[in-house]
Amino acid sequence: MDFSVLNGALASKSFDRIADICDNLMLQVAAEGVAFQDEWPFAIHLLGHIYVDDINSARFLWKSIPAAIKESQPELVAAWKIGQKLWTRDYAGVYDAIRGFDWSQETQVLVASFSELYTKRMFGLLLSAYSTISIQDAAQFLGMSEDDATNYALRQGWTVDPVSQMLTVKKQAIVREQKLDPGKLQCLTEYVFHLEH
Amino acid sequence: MNSVEGFVTQIQGLSSTASDVSVLQNLLKQADESLHAESTRLLPFLDQLDPSKHSLGYLYFIEACTAGPVTKEQASTFALIIARFISSCVADQIRLAPDKFISVCKRFKDQVLLLEEPLHGVAPMLTAIRKLQSSTEHLTTLHPEFLLLCLLAKCYRTGLSILEEDIFEVDQPRDLFLYCYYGGMICVGQKRFQKALELLHNVVTAPMSTINAIAVEAYKKYILVSLILHGQFSTSLPKYASSVAQRNLKNLCQPYVELANSYNNGKVADLETYVKANEEKFESDNNLGLVKQVISSMYKRNIQRLTQTYLTLSLHDIANTVQLNSPKEAEMHVLQMIQDGEIYATINQKDGMVRFLEDPEQYKTCEMIERIDSSIQRLMTLSKKLTVMDELMSCDPLYLAKAGRERQRLDFDDFDTVPQKY
Repeated sequence: MDFSVLNGALASKSFDRIADICDNLMLQVAAEGVAFQDEWPFAIHLLGHIYVDDINSARFLWKSIPAAIKESQPELVAAWKIGQKLWTRDYAGVYDAIRGFDWSQETQVLVASFSELYTKRMFGLLLSAYSTISIQDAAQFLGMSEDDATNYALRQGWTVDPVSQMLTVKKQAIVREQKLDPGKLQCLTEYVFHLEH
Repeated sequence: MNSVEGFVTQIQGLSSTASDVSVLQNLLKQADESLHAESTRLLPFLDQLDPSKHSLGYLYFIEACTAGPVTKEQASTFALIIARFISSCVADQIRLAPDKFISVCKRFKDQVLLLEEPLHGVAPMLTAIRKLQSSTEHLTTLHPEFLLLCLLAKCYRTGLSILEEDIFEVDQPRDLFLYCYYGGMICVGQKRFQKALELLHNVVTAPMSTINAIAVEAYKKYILVSLILHGQFSTSLPKYASSVAQRNLKNLCQPYVELANSYNNGKVADLETYVKANEEKFESDNNLGLVKQVISSMYKRNIQRLTQTYLTLSLHDIANTVQLNSPKEAEMHVLQMIQDGEIYATINQKDGMVRFLEDPEQYKTCEMIERIDSSIQRLMTLSKKLTVMDELMSCDPLYLAKAGRERQRLDFDDFDTVPQKY
């Protein structure tokens, strides 16, 4: 089995491509009738799906793995635990799952990168969903201690009320591109022509 | 008298140019019976043929080899041979014998299922489709076989990639029924409920002269997906659905129709009681998972209804109205809906309140314009295709004969009679 493309992606930290690479390679190898399961990097494959937030594919991959392999690869089980927490939306539990295992050299970088990405995603969620939130809850969502969470929020322009232990969210105006290019005029002309005939 | 060796020589000799291949095709058609008679002897001769050069001949040989029943050991050998044949064969040659190619691929599917290795067949089946179809708009008999393998191998994402293609040409009606049914299941697995609904809708409203089992199973899922996606379901089918479907589908899916009625009443407890009482039926239809998703969608539906009446509401009141256990549970529900884009709201933990907001989309951004543009382009292409089909049909003798008969009945003063026979 030729894992050069996968190793290349891992080395260059293109973690968002891992799921596609693994899916395609697995189909190719299976088509040759090779019994690949014992050597397949299932943990990385699973983490690849988790990295791009495709928990559905992660679930199906997990279901298709033979029980014997699940029993013999504790890292795979640990990787799935992260997926499980994401699936059940146990926001704080994800961090526990990430920290609760001593990851091997190959997966460490991937998991660390996912952890950062997840924290950013969670912060984005808090930003869009809350106008005020308790420090305690924010700390849970961000997987940090209460002090770290407060400092993180303050750096993003939020304000804190120490008496009530509440953070006030500062909404950021999202600037979306609104300029049109002249090519659109051509499109409009085509539409009118089509409607006339 | 032709021996197997003779056939091999002919194949080797007549596979280089298109005219040679035509001659070969005729020879093979005539030889087909003899090949089948010698099916047990053919396997070793395959080594003398190159599937990438002698695709047509190889196809005839492999079709004859696999015509009879196959043991598990043989299945393993044949499956590998066929997989390699599919990946190296020349599309132009196999398209000369599409039925044989389809038979071989179907047997390949049977073999991988016999070996309990559906994953083995996914990539080859996709390659087979690409070689068989005349364009991506063409639905072949192999499409549903491919989707079935994807479902069994749990390769939902791979299956989804082929569902993105628009279909305009269909070989057999049964292909369409199965393709849309399996496609609907794959979309449900990936939580693409809108697309699942469209596909299931196609099965349910497709022309049919008698009710078929695929349509009945599709209707059951159609009801459930409709409830999950839109929170409502109407038992009346559109006018273009067949009269057979309109009369019979409801009666054959009674438990599901009643589930929809219970859903409409808006009370989660009643819905849960109904589901519990009929759990076995849903389980035996393999729909229990979907039914459970219907129940959880009800909380969402009820919360969404609140946005129509209130600008702000306390978490405590939300929990009471929607029948959740605590304000914290209500907060988690609202948060998940915000995350999924199903509601626009902000939670104020300090006051324990939720403020409902308007959809911030103003349809002014470049992104939105690209989306509208691409939709208009797709509509224009579709419109042109419809015009072409309309023109073709208005020249069709069957259509003109029927139109002529009806016109004669209606327009007495019309001197422009259309001929009824040619």
